[in-house]
Amino acid sequence: MKIEDVVCTFCGCLCDDLVVEVEGDRVVSVENGCTLANKKFMGNNRLKTPIKRDGGNWEKVGLDEAIQTTAEVLLDADRPLLYGWSGTHGEAQTIGVHMAELLGAVIDNTSTVCHGPSIMAIQEVGHPGCTLGQVKNRADVIVYWGSNPIEAHPRHMSRYTTYADGFFLKEAFHERKVIVVDIRKTETANIADEFIMVEPGADYALLSALRAIVRGKGDMLPLNICGVEREQLFRVADICKSAKFGAMFFGLGLTMSRGKYKNIRNAIELVEELNRHTKFTISPMRGHWNVYGSNEVFTWISGYPFAVDFARGIAFYNPGETTSVDILKRGECDACLVVGSDPGAHFPRDCCRHLAGIPTIQIDPHVNATTHLSRLQIPVAVTGIDAEGTAYRMDGVPIRTRKVIETTYPSDSEVLEKIYQIIRKETGS
Amino acid sequence: MRFLLNTGRTITQGSNVEHKNSEAYREEASTCRMNPVDMMELDIEERASIVVRSAHGEIVMQAIPDAGQARGEVFVCLGPYANHIVSPETHCTGMPDFKATVVDIEPTTEGVWPIWKLMESVGGCRYED
Repeated sequence: MKIEDVVCTFCGCLCDDLVVEVEGDRVVSVENGCTLANKKFMGNNRLKTPIKRDGGNWEKVGLDEAIQTTAEVLLDADRPLLYGWSGTHGEAQTIGVHMAELLGAVIDNTSTVCHGPSIMAIQEVGHPGCTLGQVKNRADVIVYWGSNPIEAHPRHMSRYTTYADGFFLKEAFHERKVIVVDIRKTETANIADEFIMVEPGADYALLSALRAIVRGKGDMLPLNICGVEREQLFRVADICKSAKFGAMFFGLGLTMSRGKYKNIRNAIELVEELNRHTKFTISPMRGHWNVYGSNEVFTWISGYPFAVDFARGIAFYNPGETTSVDILKRGECDACLVVGSDPGAHFPRDCCRHLAGIPTIQIDPHVNATTHLSRLQIPVAVTGIDAEGTAYRMDGVPIRTRKVIETTYPSDSEVLEKIYQIIRKETGS
Repeated sequence: MRFLLNTGRTITQGSNVEHKNSEAYREEASTCRMNPVDMMELDIEERASIVVRSAHGEIVMQAIPDAGQARGEVFVCLGPYANHIVSPETHCTGMPDFKATVVDIEPTTEGVWPIWKLMESVGGCRYED
């Protein structure tokens, strides 16, 4: 059986045009998907049952026991950390935030180590963004800054930018100019009309230089700015100013580099300068398929997009203090629930050491690096394959993901709801 | 010889992200892309083992040449190998310096550890599928 208009739950593009062929409880082929989508839908290495570690021995346990143990660990903890949430649907994220409030826990999502700094900059100066549909139909200048979509978002260029014909761009490949800024010559840089190779950590200076040029103050700049010829920046500024509609996309090359959220603030302010000349927008290239959703859900319930600390009985947010890496670095939390993420692979070693030293419980369909650090893991259905739920695309558009095969696995929501009900009962809430 | 370690996504890393115990993931996550001239200066053959050492620790990886890489800079896809030597300092932003770790690199005869061994080295316990 072929199912059309299937949503891919891998990256923030949330491509919704996949055609998936199903035989029984297996996906046997995927059309329109990129390499990442094909691997995701065709993957067959799920953890079969909940597993629990007692000292150095792993054993299989029943789902009810695993759920009860999870609730008890969280109730026993003085400062639990609930981390991840970007690899699950909005309904599960909602339960997570309510659970954190009851427990007086810290709840944080993966944007803490991806676009958290982007959100901090947006909180300072706003976000002149737009939907990907606007980009596809209108943008004749595209900037990828510190971002390599060919590797990280493989269909971004074919669905929305370089290769995507739009309402006002009938031959997009010839009509759109593509500018790439990076510290190395990536595959994306190879197809750029202008590639600016910036020195590591010099993005802030380069953004400031471009702002000066757009403001008409370029003559005061030195001839070479952090390894980039001033003439190239004049050329790039002209391309941007003469655009009918420009769209800048930025990645972790800005958020993780020296300057962090100040880089993003400067990029937003460059876009503000460009809007004195034409229409220009800026948007983050979100990684996890529902990391944007985790920011939305956290915000609509608590007022804050990530790193929310309920220890005071109210929501408190202070990146650098209530962010997961800092909490783990300080050895502060005494239990951790990981949902839809893999901090074992993506956090610095010292954070992993603390996760290994406390009761860490993971809810995830697959064995990953965090499995080896955990005391308990509960396998669940994969949203978009054998569970459905709501996700937010990288431009903030909510999309309902579909279930294409039947399963015996519970969804994230079902497992979390059971844990939540036990916590409610025990706390008398 | 001193380098700046940069990390980021690769399509091979993404393709194997749900197969973290696989050989394909281990190989990609432990591959260090270097400028070919830097490799020549250090007398490192393609796919030879190197030890990558930061102020925060050291890890064995394998080197491959990448002409798109500037001299003095190396790239490793994000994952447990690179993060083994990244500092947890976030400068009050919540975000570690994933793209700016200063490292020393030299050839070695040691082999690359599997991921479970990395996790066991910080107190974890191997789970086999």
